Amino acid sequence: MASDGSNPQSRVLTGVHFMLGNYATSEGALAAGCDFFAGYPITPANEISERMSQRLPEVGGTFIQGEDELFSIYAVTGASIAGAKAMTATASAGYNHFQEGIGYAVAVEAPCVIVDVQRCRGENFATQADVMQMRWGTDGDYEIIVLAPSSIQELFEYTVRAFNLAEEYRTPVIVASETTIALMRERLDIPTAEEIEIVNRKYTDLSPDEYKPFAAPEYGVPDFAPLGEGYGTIYSINPHDEEGSIDWDPDVYERMYDRLTGKIAKNRDVICQPRSFAVDDADIVLIAYGSEVRPALDAVQMARDEGIAAGLLKLDAVWPVPEEQIKKATAKAKEVISVEMNIGKYANEIERVVAGRVPVHRCTKNRGIIHSPEEIYRSIKEVWK
Amino acid sequence: MKPLKIRFCGFGGQGIILSAITLGTALVTKKGYYAVQTQSYGSEARGGQCQAELIVADEEVRSPHSDEKDVLVAMSQSALDRYVSDLKQGGILIVDPTLVKEIPEVDGQVIEVPATQTAVDLGNRIAANMVLLGFVQQATGILTKDELLSAVQDLVKPQFIDINTRAIEAGIELAEGINLEVIE
Repeated sequence: MASDGSNPQSRVLTGVHFMLGNYATSEGALAAGCDFFAGYPITPANEISERMSQRLPEVGGTFIQGEDELFSIYAVTGASIAGAKAMTATASAGYNHFQEGIGYAVAVEAPCVIVDVQRCRGENFATQADVMQMRWGTDGDYEIIVLAPSSIQELFEYTVRAFNLAEEYRTPVIVASETTIALMRERLDIPTAEEIEIVNRKYTDLSPDEYKPFAAPEYGVPDFAPLGEGYGTIYSINPHDEEGSIDWDPDVYERMYDRLTGKIAKNRDVICQPRSFAVDDADIVLIAYGSEVRPALDAVQMARDEGIAAGLLKLDAVWPVPEEQIKKATAKAKEVISVEMNIGKYANEIERVVAGRVPVHRCTKNRGIIHSPEEIYRSIKEVWK
Repeated sequence: MKPLKIRFCGFGGQGIILSAITLGTALVTKKGYYAVQTQSYGSEARGGQCQAELIVADEEVRSPHSDEKDVLVAMSQSALDRYVSDLKQGGILIVDPTLVKEIPEVDGQVIEVPATQTAVDLGNRIAANMVLLGFVQQATGILTKDELLSAVQDLVKPQFIDINTRAIEAGIELAEGINLEVIE
């Protein structure tokens, strides 16, 4: 037991579980060191808050049910600039309300994790329709990291990674959950605490007199000093110089946004770690993310069984776009199929990246339920006549 | 091992989803299998149609839904009528005769398990789902009684462990002499 009465070991529930997706998200957060959660109820994300309300106090953390989404996102940002590892969770309609606060967190470089359990408008039906609102929803220029897990195991692992990336790049990181996996139970193997890699933001070793809160190398990340310890940082959404002073000088503005966007865009090859399945000799390359990877893999197997050389690129980060990895995976392909549970949104990014070199077909489904393997296989056969 | 696909169906309040969670928990955390469980239910607190699907395998399960079920457990007439067409050819249909009066023609085995009557005799009607789980455990042999009971202890509030244990044991007795092949 620690001196504050908490048991640090209970942060990581090492072992084999049959766990609800939303609970796995919360357990990933706890394993990553999350010590602050604020959220406002909405289905199908409520089990995340429910679990955090029970588990966070057990490990010495703070849980707040906000009066709305605006409170929640700003509480999380505030906790973050005070030094906490903070998270909130919502579902699509609630995510709309986060957008203003996400822009602020981006501009002041507040590490935090935001879970969006995507649902159809007004009902808990399955969708991936928020893939663009997670990228483009707030005002101004920015880059953002969005991770799209496919399973309960990945809800746990990607949430851990979301915290690590948030800390490393001092940015909000979005976990793009979905009704399909959030409300599903599946096997989850939680490793020991020692086996889980944890990244913490870099704290400054300078005194308040020497410290410049937003000074960083080109495309780099500034060292952190927590609020309330004499460093007197102004966290403003307005253009600010390295000292944190608000400054509308066009040079300052340009320099600030070059770094804010560059720190993520220039590291896309490190942030994005897509996985390839049978793409080396594939005539047809499917590209999928989130839950849709599951039936897509089945469909690739069905195609291979029938002698069709299909493969799959499984995206982990959908933002930033893994441009080089998409180019490489599709270099020898004759056809590309973008598999999505929406009207066909990310397909536009894939088209942009392959730039006409290979046709990009759309295998979309927008009726509140995940593709079946047979439906995706039919798309493969239509393309491969 | 070919993935084993089981659907429990009935109406809200019968413990349909808990049945699938309990079986999945036992098969994953006690037996070491992989499993995926999904559900759908009406927004009514009780009485709406309800189903839970469980896919069990010895490796990661990909697609979380399956078209054809190996086993269908039906605890209401309306749920049976709705889901019977999902039973694969040669599949196993388990019904509670107290709740299901008309059994449609199926290409497969039909087994009547008087789960509700057994639970009523034990003193708690809502333990019928556990009678059925005890029956499934014994008749299929996909897990041991101890593995199932251990999962119940993990999931059920302490004051309900006794009635659930007795219900499972009663279900096991009902399965005496019945041997269902579900693992290929």
